[in-house]
Amino acid sequence: MATPAQKIYTFHVNGMHCNSCVVLTESELNDLKEVTRAKASLKTHRIEVVGYFGDKEPEHVARDLSEILKPHGYTLSLEKQKHSANWSDFRIALPIAGTFIAIFIILQKLGIVNLITTSEVGYGTAFVIGLIASISTCMAVVGGLVLSMAANFAKGGDKVRPQMLFHLGRLVSFFILGGTIGALGSAFQLGSTGSFVLSLIVALVLLVLGINLLDIFPGIKKLQPTMPNFIGQHIHGLKKVNHTLTPLLVGITTFFLPCGFTQSMQIYTLSIGNFWGGAMTMLIFALGTLPVLAFLSLSSLSIHRQTQRGIFFKTAGIVVIFFALFNLINSLVMIGLIPPLFNF
Amino acid sequence: MKAIVLSILLAGILIGGAFTFSNRPTPDAIAEENNVSLVGGKQIIEIGAKGGYSPQQTIAKADIPTIIRVATKGTFDCSSTLTIPAIDYRKNLPPSGITDIEILPQPAGTTLRGLCAMGMYNFVVKFTL
Repeated sequence: MATPAQKIYTFHVNGMHCNSCVVLTESELNDLKEVTRAKASLKTHRIEVVGYFGDKEPEHVARDLSEILKPHGYTLSLEKQKHSANWSDFRIALPIAGTFIAIFIILQKLGIVNLITTSEVGYGTAFVIGLIASISTCMAVVGGLVLSMAANFAKGGDKVRPQMLFHLGRLVSFFILGGTIGALGSAFQLGSTGSFVLSLIVALVLLVLGINLLDIFPGIKKLQPTMPNFIGQHIHGLKKVNHTLTPLLVGITTFFLPCGFTQSMQIYTLSIGNFWGGAMTMLIFALGTLPVLAFLSLSSLSIHRQTQRGIFFKTAGIVVIFFALFNLINSLVMIGLIPPLFNF
Repeated sequence: MKAIVLSILLAGILIGGAFTFSNRPTPDAIAEENNVSLVGGKQIIEIGAKGGYSPQQTIAKADIPTIIRVATKGTFDCSSTLTIPAIDYRKNLPPSGITDIEILPQPAGTTLRGLCAMGMYNFVVKFTL
């Protein structure tokens, strides 16, 4: 029996923005029995597919393959699609983001921090402090990171696993570092220059990620931190590394991020003077922040239909940009460059 | 296009409204010297730190040694990480207690600003003759 004639098709991949996307699209298509070989290029946003699809027209093939890639956020087309910013998504995204930001401001203005009345920190209090911290201005820092990370990973089709790893990294690092502080009796605290630099970096990272989520300027994707190409070509399963290590590391870093509550809990932990006490206090504090942070990180699960994608990413983008500006303004206030704009 | 303008307006009203209408009553936003006392030739300025600093503005006398006495009471928020950039002061206050900050005599017209480490709470002390 003669082998069916193989044909070469070239498609444009819409939505391909990172090195792991190349790996993902290639491996998804290579799994199909019709496909002999698939080779994607990030540079040209094209994929070359060699395979047997019967008498189907190339348009039909593009449609069929798009169905397989759609859950990951890519579609294939014969013609290069013009970048459309989809401004109509803002109609719904803006009010949702506005509501979220308004609730954030109201919570700060209401003085939620005054709900803490005791000065003794038991495990119960540590949990409540964590709960309050997660809806305080700390949400602008840690919550902003969580939301932008969740949305950016969801763009690549990976909704749950990176988030779990982030929270795992956060909880484990709070336990270990909290215990270390308790045992050593000295805190890892940054000086004023250090914390200024750190909050400036956080603000800028959030700004880039937020603008990227809005999907208005295609050029800014180049600014997104990705693994260099030459590493990508040599490490098998790059996607795995990028999607495993990054969230884990970000989770660990949150211990050092500028957040008043985290810092004062660390100061309290100092006075405990032993490993277990410190470790448990910081762990329970981190557990207290978990419900709100988990809500933010799993928000991408709310995308059920394709039409909701744009709205979700734009909403997340606006909120993340708001948090970025909030951090930026606060860090400039700290070095005395501008007078305080917010005073809650 | 009309819908976009409308949604921008709606978002603006929501955020603006949150800023204006949720203003927490600050009874002593500007204190009349009742938090300033003279003890043994030293001027003591009392400031409470919890969910912000109160009073937010204090008028103090210039040219005399001054102590800013910060009281914390179950303070775990940002206001416990106090910095006064002008005098290079930076300290993590205890969750509950009193912390004295010694300040050299300040010339009239000086304004000292205290901030929390994230920058969203602040207070000012104005020195006048």
